[in-house]
Amino acid sequence: MTPHSRRYRGLALFLLTILAGGGCWVVNYALTVQLHRAKVFSGCALLTLLLLLTLFNARKKLPFLPLLKAATWMRLHIFAGLLSGFLFCLHLHGRIPQGILEATLAVLYVVVAASGFVGLALSRWLPARLTIHGENLIYERIPALRAAVHHQVEELVEQSLATTHSSTIADFYESRLRWYFARPRFLCAHLLGYRQSLFTLLEEVNALDRFLDPAERNIMGQIVVLINTKNNLDFQLAGQRLLKLWLFVHIPVTYGLLLFALLHAVLAFTLS
Amino acid sequence: MAQDIINIKRPQRWDVPFWSELAGDLTREMTAADVDRLLQFPLFQQMDPKRFSAASPLRDVLLNDARLRTFKPGDIVVRQGDYGSSAFIILTGAARVLLEKIDDSLIGRQPSQRKNFFAALSQLWKTPALPEVRPFLNDGGRPRPARAGGQVAAETAVFVQDVTAILRDKRTAVLKEGELFGEIAALSRTPRTTTVAVDCPTEMLEIRWQGLREIRLRSPEFKEHIDRLYRERSLKTHLLETEMFKHLDDATLEQVAQATEFLTIGDFDWYADFAKGRQAAAAEQLRQEPVVARQGHYANGVYLIRSGFARLSETYNHGERTVSYLGRGQTFGFEELARNWRDKSQLPFQRSLRALGYVDVLFVPTQIVEQYVLPTLPAPLLPAEAEPEHPAAGRPREAPAAKIRPEMMEFIVDQRLINGTATMIIDLNRCTRCDDCVRACAATHDNNPRFIRHGQVNDGFMIANSCMHCLDPICMIGCPTGAIHRDSAHGRVVINDLTCIGCATCANSCPYDNIQMVTPRNAEGQPFYDQATNQPIQKAAKCDLCSNQITGPACANACPHDALHRVNMRDMGPLAVLLNRQ
Repeated sequence: MTPHSRRYRGLALFLLTILAGGGCWVVNYALTVQLHRAKVFSGCALLTLLLLLTLFNARKKLPFLPLLKAATWMRLHIFAGLLSGFLFCLHLHGRIPQGILEATLAVLYVVVAASGFVGLALSRWLPARLTIHGENLIYERIPALRAAVHHQVEELVEQSLATTHSSTIADFYESRLRWYFARPRFLCAHLLGYRQSLFTLLEEVNALDRFLDPAERNIMGQIVVLINTKNNLDFQLAGQRLLKLWLFVHIPVTYGLLLFALLHAVLAFTLS
Repeated sequence: MAQDIINIKRPQRWDVPFWSELAGDLTREMTAADVDRLLQFPLFQQMDPKRFSAASPLRDVLLNDARLRTFKPGDIVVRQGDYGSSAFIILTGAARVLLEKIDDSLIGRQPSQRKNFFAALSQLWKTPALPEVRPFLNDGGRPRPARAGGQVAAETAVFVQDVTAILRDKRTAVLKEGELFGEIAALSRTPRTTTVAVDCPTEMLEIRWQGLREIRLRSPEFKEHIDRLYRERSLKTHLLETEMFKHLDDATLEQVAQATEFLTIGDFDWYADFAKGRQAAAAEQLRQEPVVARQGHYANGVYLIRSGFARLSETYNHGERTVSYLGRGQTFGFEELARNWRDKSQLPFQRSLRALGYVDVLFVPTQIVEQYVLPTLPAPLLPAEAEPEHPAAGRPREAPAAKIRPEMMEFIVDQRLINGTATMIIDLNRCTRCDDCVRACAATHDNNPRFIRHGQVNDGFMIANSCMHCLDPICMIGCPTGAIHRDSAHGRVVINDLTCIGCATCANSCPYDNIQMVTPRNAEGQPFYDQATNQPIQKAAKCDLCSNQITGPACANACPHDALHRVNMRDMGPLAVLLNRQ
């Protein structure tokens, strides 16, 4: 698909969403003025749309069936999600939800929608940052790579003790670097693009320079490379973890929303 | 430990003889008597059995790498466009070569075998919970005979009712007893160039390319014979396929063919040096590439790429800038020649042509092109008039390659990614690292992902470690059993799990590290071990482009962000679009 056709397809879907939303509003308005139960229409339409939206996850589990490309599903998912927001407002009809069930249902919907928007924004914003920051890594391999980097640093520290007869690097390792290399650090700072913590650490390394002889300086240079490597590992971990984490909100809450929505529908039909 | 593993006999090269791969009445078991008979044929009689190694004597090669085939009138032996990995020798009878291309349906070409909807759906519950489960190895490691392989089904004879009518209506050439055919496709890993059918009962010997290579290696007479045929037949076909020669009549084409020179530049086994020199500086890599034609030199003729790849470059200050790359069927130098002929000028070559690894080239001298080709060339094929004051005057027309950023072009060529017909390219600015592609791959391959979402990155695009289904699949070169082969219908490179003996030759040959060796297990998760050495049994595994799935490549379909694409690197238009999208 060329960029042009992709853009036209996106535009067509957007127009279709507006048309569908407009159609729903007209039907809802017509039902309201005729004193029919317009809420049944908007509620059923919303529930159907929620079920369709949930099918995207099912499609991911069935990659061996000819069920359209996931990218197409994604586009449909985004626009159907927008339409569901409109239907949700139509269904509420400007009223604050009353009662525990309705309030819970509304909160669940808002959480699902908000997490969806956040996820969409993250998936558009973070990949490019991960790409330009440093080496691209497989998420599951990051802990092993971090352990390897830590091991290399420890070896360099031992080497400095054995060959230079000076404890400067070892002392610094004990006071600052052991903590830094022990586990992922500054994850939030990475996500916010805040690099002060790394600069502070590197400043402290620079400050040590006056105590180092040439051999130690050589070892410290290698350690600085590893500090930067660890920094990229932490950045990749923070970014990739966030790209996965939002789904841990979006998907389970979606199932909760569906359960509550079905319960709401059953109660609405049986008690009215 | 002994309770945790299963000891079986390690699969060997000739566990599955070639004859056993064809079921039913299409073939029969090769016997010692058959081999004795074959050795009486002139082609084999001239061979010296002493030249063959003790591990692969001539008799065993014929016994295991060859099979006797009987064809009835109406049978099609090979079809143009199919990927074949064997050659044929006519023992009795005759065959007809179709000299014209005919409709696919007339030669019985059928769509490839794919799972139906319900078979695809059943993967949901049939997929083993454990990775690399191979139940067939429970039979003591002896693979089941035939037909399950994949290569076999498409190689069976195809019977077409009205073949007699086809042979009557179309131009054909007759192949007689003792003649060899099919060797071009078998040895160069390219599609069959012609269709061959029989209209009388005919017996043939079919030799798979492993055997063909062995005989070619050990018998200089046979090598000479094959090489002569290879050159003669390849030349005719190639000239006819090339745009600038299509308009020529038979007599003129013959004149051109007579004057055409064959050039083989570079090393056929390029991949060994490439693997070593891959990390060398770009300038050093370029220096090691043999020059076919140099920029600024007299335009002495037209170069047609017959096989292999070539780099098209131009000087830029103190270095060379890669402009594009050429592959089979593409030409170099024609524009300069045409301009010189039309404008009565002396424009030299505007760019340099270098062999990437190795390249087989047909060279047609300027004098021949000016005498036979240009005077009758249709006007649209001539280059556009150049404006003298325009700085680009005389340069070949801009191609889609021009839309690819120079750094990316250098990367593609330097890393030999040009070889890929289904290269996995991931746009890292879109990829969210969700691994849906890897999960989809595992779900369609019995819980075994067949690629790694990791690889070289350039300009925000990752070339992932997934089989590229190369135009020149060098992984196939050393396979002793032919387990790794081309799917005859589509040319995908696939592995027959039944005949793979786990020698790792393909994995070691692949310059892109796209083949993995895996340890198969039974359904309980116990790995298979060789009885003799107590070493684990291994199998080669790689992407098969979901050849038996109804969906096509699951990885590309599963990407929700449209980040992952399978791209034919020869198709530079779509490649440029992908690499330039926002």
